[in-house]
Formats: sequence, C-alpha cells, structure tokens
Amino acid sequence: MTQTRSLQGAARSESAADIDAAAQAWAARSDRGPLSPQDEVALREWLEADPRRAGAYARALAADVYLSRAAALGAGFDPRKLSTRPAMGRRRVITAGGGLLAASLVASAGLGLSSWRSRIVTPKGDVRRVSLPEGSAVTLNTATAVRPDLGDQLRRVDLIRGEALFDVAKDHRRPFIVFAGGVRVRAVGTSFSVRVKEDREVEVQVREGVVEVWRRSDASPVRLTAGGVALAPRQGPISHDHRPIESVERAMAWREGRIDLAGMSLAEAAAEFRRYSDRAIVTDDETVARMTVAGVYSISDPEGFARAAALSLGLEAVVTPSEIELRRSELS
Amino acid sequence: MAGISRARAEWLGLRIFPHEPALRQWLSRRTLGEIEIDDVVQETYAILAALDSVDHIRNPRTYMFEVAKSVVLQTLRRSRIITLEVLSEATDGLQTPSDDPDPEQVAADRQELGRLAEMVAALPTRCREVFILRKIHGLSQREVAQRLDLSQSTVEKHIAKALGLLIEQVGRGGNRRVEASIDRDPDQIAPRRRPIGKRR
Repeated sequence: MTQTRSLQGAARSESAADIDAAAQAWAARSDRGPLSPQDEVALREWLEADPRRAGAYARALAADVYLSRAAALGAGFDPRKLSTRPAMGRRRVITAGGGLLAASLVASAGLGLSSWRSRIVTPKGDVRRVSLPEGSAVTLNTATAVRPDLGDQLRRVDLIRGEALFDVAKDHRRPFIVFAGGVRVRAVGTSFSVRVKEDREVEVQVREGVVEVWRRSDASPVRLTAGGVALAPRQGPISHDHRPIESVERAMAWREGRIDLAGMSLAEAAAEFRRYSDRAIVTDDETVARMTVAGVYSISDPEGFARAAALSLGLEAVVTPSEIELRRSELS
Repeated sequence: MAGISRARAEWLGLRIFPHEPALRQWLSRRTLGEIEIDDVVQETYAILAALDSVDHIRNPRTYMFEVAKSVVLQTLRRSRIITLEVLSEATDGLQTPSDDPDPEQVAADRQELGRLAEMVAALPTRCREVFILRKIHGLSQREVAQRLDLSQSTVEKHIAKALGLLIEQVGRGGNRRVEASIDRDPDQIAPRRRPIGKRR
C-alpha cells in the first residue's frame, strides 16, 4: 500500500485490509445469530472509532448476503466433482441440485496464473468481459476466441478469431502483445481493439494511449495514437489512418450491445448484424442493398433494425424464422 | 445488527455488491491522484449503508457510481497537494456509465453461479466444508459445529475466512488468486495480507 492518507483527514494507522479482516470477523459473528448485548456494544465501539469501518462492515455484510446465493448450488453440490486443476480443461458441467449448470469459462478467473493458458470463447451473439489476473481486461465480441499467456517477461494474448477490446494495465516491465494471425500489436497501458475479419484481414483501432502494430518481417512498427486505425491485409503492407475519436468509439458500440450504422449501406449493415445472429437480413434487389442507413441498434435485434429500416426507406420487411427479407413495397 | 438493518444488508448484497467489480474497473481507469480505490469503495458503502431510505433508488448501479464519484471529488478538493491536471481529469472524466443494462454485465450474471461454485471449490478444505454446510445446506453455525465436531468459535473463524477469500474475488471481479489451499487452523493464521494488486 502506498503512503497512507485519509479520506477523512484523520490520522490513520490501520490499513484498508486490516479493517476488512476485522469487518469480516464481525460479519461472521452476525452470521452466527443475533449478537449478544456485549457484542452489540463492542461492535458499536469498533464502528465508531474510525468512520471507514462502517463502510467495510457494510461491505462484509453485503458479501455475506450475496454469498447466500450459493444456496442455489443445491445440496447435491460436490466440490470434488469440480476439479480446479487446469489440466482438466475448462469445459465442465456441474451437477447442482439435480439440474445441470454449465461452469463458465470465466469461472476460473481467480484460480491461478497457470490456468490462464486456456482459451476463452464467446458464442455468436454474446459479448463477454474477462479480467486477467494482472489487472488488464479483455472484452470479447461475438464469435471470438482468445488465449492469454501471462508470463513474467511478456503478457501475450493470441486472438484466434473474432474481435476483442483490450484494456491494458500499465506494466513497463512486461509488454502486452496481441498476436492476431501474423500481426503483432503491442501496448503499454492503453485501450484498443483488434479484429480478425473473415478474410483474415486484421484491423486495429486505438481508443487511448499508444499502440504499435507490425509483422515479424517488418523493419519498424506502425505507431498509432488514440483514433488511429491500422489495416493489415493477408498480404501486403499494413496501412493506417486516423479517425476522429468519436468514430472509433462508435465502432466499439458493441461493448454496450449496440451497433452504430452511421453511413453504412444496407448490405454492409446486414453483414454486420450477421456477425451477431444467424438470422440473416436479405434482399434480392441491388438498389435496396445500396441504400444507406443510420442509427444505433441493439446487436441482438436484427428484426427490429430491419423493420425500422423498412419504415424509413419505404420498404417492406418479410419476416420468417430464418431470415428477414427487405424489398421495395409493392404499394409504392 | 448494530448500525445496519437486515433489509439494508440485503439491498447492498443483492443490488450493490455485484456491481463492485465494475466500479473498481471504472475507478482504475481514472486519474485519482493518490486516492486509494479501496478507500473510495469503503466510503461508498459507508454512505449507502447510512442512507435513510433506498426506496427512491431506481438504478442502484448508477447510484453507486454517483456516490463513488462524489467521494472522489470531495476527497480531491480536501486534498492539499493536487495538480490541476488531476482535478480537471477527475471532473471531466468522471462520466458515470449509462443506465442501460450492460451486456457484459448480463453475460457476467449468467456465469456468476458457475463462478461462485468454482471459487467455493477452491477454498481450503476445512473452510470449504464449513461454508458448504452453512451457506449451501443452510445449517446454522451451531449445527455446523456439531456436525464437524468443532467449537462454535472455530466455525465462526472459518466463515470469516471464507468471507474474506470470496469477497476478495467476487468484489474485485475475480482477478485475484485464491491463496494456496493449505488447510490450517484459523486460530493460528496471522491477519491475512492483501494479495498484491496493480496499485503498487
């Protein structure tokens, strides 16, 4: 802990961790049953001696209540069936009270560095944020797979497919490098996204800080600052460009479950929705495909988008369970 | 329960505590000068625990973020050494996130129980037995003590220890490690030191 200083301006000797430990002991005492009158007095005195203690105690009680959710695991819960050895792999099914409960891939987040060599994946349509043990976070977009490998010298994350946003904790001694196809993206304390497209082209967008992008054969990296965007085609040199930061933020609207279609053609928008859903938006009409659309939509609602587009463009939306067809209205 | 009603503890546990990782994440992205995130979080809980009523709070997550923001700003103003840069960034940069349900959070909720199961499984043996009987099977601490032939105060200490290990993980978004699963008598355990985080 750094130089201690007080939120209240009073001198302090007790660390937040000491307070937490004592608060947890009090919460465990309350968990036992109603406090004895002596305990009531002792608790009150403890609380009143330092204003920070009330917060720690409230937090410990809150956690105690929260952890009662564990009751939902059911009396059949057997931790031995839930090996935490990384060698067991990450896909597990827990028997819980007769029902089946899929253990998430994120589940083992707290179980040690070695287990971080495994893959983390999202299915189509899902967005998931994962904290890495060293303080960084990765947000996986739809149909994405990453494999973090956090070593003492290097924090390496392989982007196997899809798109991910990296919020990197500063650590100058251990560079953070994303490997995506043959492209490497290096950052120190920043926020950027990397996407491997269907055609294996790799796209990098920077929200904050400085990022370097290169292939192993390159003499020098491309350096991007906030708003910078680099495109690495399967073959040929890496190109880069600078966009207004708002444009980069818009491109990352998927983190909030939204998709920003500003200036896209209907065909491009349909392709974008297809990344998140198997339900396709289709049209046989070239003129319709080239119409431009705008607006922010939920990534999980292609039908809602199609209906809104139909309304604003004077089209007709024909909805079936597998697809949504847009065509020019016969009435117009 | 001195100071905090059962109802308020439940509200904090079910409506606030699950958002603590997001709050810490959000705070860690701001320039806070020398303010410790732990202190901001503690004070935020203190304020929420002391509110007369929480009935008017429509969105507890947003409310928690707003309280934390006011704690930061107030502390910065009180602080003697403060650069203009820090103050302006804190003031401009502390935009609280929108009210929309966050799909990252939604995904996290779905996985929560599975995650909790793994964290419970990773507790030291004795501590885990006590926790499972108390929280999953719903026995009282006294019944747990009888079942495992332990003293009630030992059971209480195991509960406190489980609470400490789990709170650390859940509250910080699971990016802390459970310390080695060595089963020790809690009576002999020195006050647990905080695992080393990125704050250093």
